[in-house]
Amino acid sequence: MPHSTDSLDKTMVYGPDKKLGIIRDTSIQPFAPKEELFEIKVPEPIKKVNVEVNFSYQLRPGDTYPIHRIVKKISIEAPQPE
Amino acid sequence: MDKKMNHSLLTFYRSLLHGLFLNKKRHRLIIFKSVIVTIIFIFPTLCNGSDQKPDTLKQLIEMYDPTGCRECHEEIYAQWQNSHHSRSITGIFMERYLKKGPLSVKSPKEATKKNFPCFKCHLPQLEKATDTVAAEIAAVFLNNDRTTMKQLNISCMVCHQDKGIVHGLPEKNVMYGPKAEKEYPEEEHMRVKKSPIMKRSVMCGQCHGLGPNLEFEHPIQCATLYGSYLHAYIPAGGSNTCQECHMKKADHTCPPNFNDRKEVSERLRQALPLEVDTLSYRFQPFEKIFVSTIVVKTKVTSKAGHRIPDG
Repeated sequence: MPHSTDSLDKTMVYGPDKKLGIIRDTSIQPFAPKEELFEIKVPEPIKKVNVEVNFSYQLRPGDTYPIHRIVKKISIEAPQPE
Repeated sequence: MDKKMNHSLLTFYRSLLHGLFLNKKRHRLIIFKSVIVTIIFIFPTLCNGSDQKPDTLKQLIEMYDPTGCRECHEEIYAQWQNSHHSRSITGIFMERYLKKGPLSVKSPKEATKKNFPCFKCHLPQLEKATDTVAAEIAAVFLNNDRTTMKQLNISCMVCHQDKGIVHGLPEKNVMYGPKAEKEYPEEEHMRVKKSPIMKRSVMCGQCHGLGPNLEFEHPIQCATLYGSYLHAYIPAGGSNTCQECHMKKADHTCPPNFNDRKEVSERLRQALPLEVDTLSYRFQPFEKIFVSTIVVKTKVTSKAGHRIPDG
């Protein structure tokens, strides 16, 4: 989302009566893919994991529109060292 | 004609009658002058319509009442009723700004059009009205009069008359559409001329935000959608107009309709495809120490013509 200030200092503000510029913009931009990487440490002896990715649009706190839900089943397999 | 002009005319005609009875020598000259004055005032009114600014909220509502269009444009009217244009001033928290902050007033009577910079886009027809109407609207918000609020919106005449032209000013008693229409009997329908911008993004851009509105004494900044379209989408190679995505087949719902949650979710799903890749392995930070690790990579791409979210 656009992070707007009143242009008098660096504090983000809400409300059209206060906003007067954008100091940072984390929105998804046209034709500009956003990638993120998540590393998850899995405690032993878990060998199989279901990863669920939920992507949603939060209009306001508590007011969320679900967009994507993708579930992947992962098996952690690696040869044991001798 | 406005009240001042009416008062001036009444004063003039009273003095005319007074002159007819007491000063017979000037009788013919006075009659001649009255005829000339009457022609000057009435003729422009007949040709161009009244220049009178709506002086009451009721007048403003009647000027922009869309129900007259419904008779012939039923489907479009129904679509419009489902759009956010039909509820442009509800849910914008105007009552909060009237109570606290640079736009606040101690009582509704103090309010003028200056207290409603938001209405540049949320109710642009207020610009045609007087400050008296602004005071009435302040009372509507502060009394939470939702019935009246629902009558104030971006109705047909806002887009098809007031906003139909950007090069120059809209003509009086003329509506604008994507194409010129046949001549209608005057009592049935205004003349419809072709608007060169009706199918172009600038039509929507007039209200849907370039950034801060610095022309006001207290500047405001709401949507910056059109700015994003111009400075992010177009430079990245985009070529669709707003209408091509948001008014397919002239759908006046102009989605998204945030009251239709499924529709919004589906629309966002189409606009923001998501890819998820995973990798699993046993990480070995030190000899004989193993840590099972999963790496999840997500990639979101936008097909939209502007940033998401905006505002």
